[in-house]
Amino acid sequence: MSDEENKLKINKEQQSQDTTEKEGINSETEQPWYMEEPARRTFFKRIAAGGGGALLAGAGSYGIARYSLEGQEVTDYPLIDEKLFKPKPQQDTILNFVSSRALNKKYPERNEQYNRLQKKQFEWINGFRDMYRKPWDNSKPGYTQMDRALQKAGWEPLNLAGSRLSANLQPNTPFNTWDQSDVEKEQYQFETKKQASDAIKSAARVFGAVKCGIARRDKRWDYDPLYDIENEKELSWKKDFPFEPKTVIVMLSSMDYDCMATAPAWTADGTAADGYSQMGVKATQMAKFLKGMGYHAVGAGNDLGSSVPYAVMAGLGEGGRNGALIAPGVGPRVRIMKVYTDFEFVEYDGPHNWGITDFCLSCGKCAEACPSDALPLPEDKNGGYGFEPSYEFSDEPGYTWNNHIGIRKFYSDAKKCYNFWVENGSACAACIASCTFNEPDFWHHFFIMAINPVMPKFLHAAMAESHPAFGYGHTNDPKKALKFWKSGEGMRTNILMKNNIGTSNKS
Amino acid sequence: MELMQWFFMGVLFTLSVIALAWLSMIVKLEWYTWAGMITGVVMVLFGIGWAGASFLEGIAQSGALGLILFSGSGVVMMVLVWRHLIKPKMVAPKLIK
Repeated sequence: MSDEENKLKINKEQQSQDTTEKEGINSETEQPWYMEEPARRTFFKRIAAGGGGALLAGAGSYGIARYSLEGQEVTDYPLIDEKLFKPKPQQDTILNFVSSRALNKKYPERNEQYNRLQKKQFEWINGFRDMYRKPWDNSKPGYTQMDRALQKAGWEPLNLAGSRLSANLQPNTPFNTWDQSDVEKEQYQFETKKQASDAIKSAARVFGAVKCGIARRDKRWDYDPLYDIENEKELSWKKDFPFEPKTVIVMLSSMDYDCMATAPAWTADGTAADGYSQMGVKATQMAKFLKGMGYHAVGAGNDLGSSVPYAVMAGLGEGGRNGALIAPGVGPRVRIMKVYTDFEFVEYDGPHNWGITDFCLSCGKCAEACPSDALPLPEDKNGGYGFEPSYEFSDEPGYTWNNHIGIRKFYSDAKKCYNFWVENGSACAACIASCTFNEPDFWHHFFIMAINPVMPKFLHAAMAESHPAFGYGHTNDPKKALKFWKSGEGMRTNILMKNNIGTSNKS
Repeated sequence: MELMQWFFMGVLFTLSVIALAWLSMIVKLEWYTWAGMITGVVMVLFGIGWAGASFLEGIAQSGALGLILFSGSGVVMMVLVWRHLIKPKMVAPKLIK
């Protein structure tokens, strides 16, 4: 074959290939490389079916998750042993007691017994004075002058308002005043109870609360008698309190995730102290709102009544192993404030279950992280969950004076906790930072929260272990303080709304 | 920013649906291969969503582990289904008429 014939043959083959490609014919399979009309229709039908299926599955999952996060109403809370239960005097709360010279003089055996059993030389009455006098160390992250300054700044609103002692359960402070002279004479009338509840909760959000629930006033949770540390005297609900409360509005204020993660460093106390100030501000705002509508109201932080059971009764969360309220979404990283009022034309909330206490029974991360061993471990008697304390020395007569006995819950030794605060130079919060439910506000944490109630119990321990494995909940880590102090980066635009979700992004 | 993440996840989800539909056009899928591939895709997307949220909240360890555990398992599942359940039954890839 000559060269010309060869060229002609190659050109013909090339032309044939071009023609085939133009016509969409695949020479190997003899199929068109594009889809013919019927196949294209099938393809789009399948996309539509797949998309529709995915949409339905997504909407269904979202609905189930929402339903789960609402919690299941419970009727068996609280479980109380009537033989053991009695109202708790406010003076027997640890912070009230250690702040009162008169009470310390009246019950010297409490301090003596603690020192004897714990082999300590610790003076409770001087604890708060000594705590904040501990010198800073600028070479130790979390314990520097800057950390101390943050802590003091957190307390400042309460200091300026002359209400600092409200954190130690002092009632009737300027913020949480008992004065009712500013109650409007005309009472605003709501059309329905739901309208009233919605209005109160809307106002709570304006004041900055992350959650708000409404509970009936329950004398079992009220301290009785109350105790005035400043004037060293007992106060009576009947004689001294300005009205008969019917309702307790409970609000939650969240604390910063990254700041709390530095626990037990002083840094963490910055957000805790700020939380206490927020308690004062928000409670007094809600009280003023109710007074403005013509109803009596008194705000309260930790005083007047036990905050955790009131928050549980208001449907805001469950009681955790660490003795704190654990609220779905924010965990124990909240401060609780209450407003006592005689307004009762409202829809009351009730206790709910999210499987949190069940989870706590097999978790115990807070107890492992507690530097003072004040919390019960899952290995303890009944997992530390019962009607009375089971911690070390709890069988010694009089040692459990600070516990409210007779309620089924986790009992902790707050005396050891307070002792560590003083040694540490600041409140601790390791039990909050290490909690498996202490998460930033992102969808995957809500997902875990939503599936938690249906998870078999044997998986709870594995879930608790995976929490630190995924990088959450470590305490006593100087790197956390360094990370926190960089977390302000990006706050000019704050596209992540860090103040809402409490996370640090780039740091 | 979290809403932006939802948008990107929606885009990825849509692309995944298109990819699965395309796959069903070029090979015949049995019910169990459908189940395997869909589970794999959902796991990959779940891992990406988890990791995205974790990186945004600043917990990189959670993001990395989420990618490995969830997306990694999803990829492995899809590869196994492809190699052992789909490919052996394929004579030649054909477009369905």
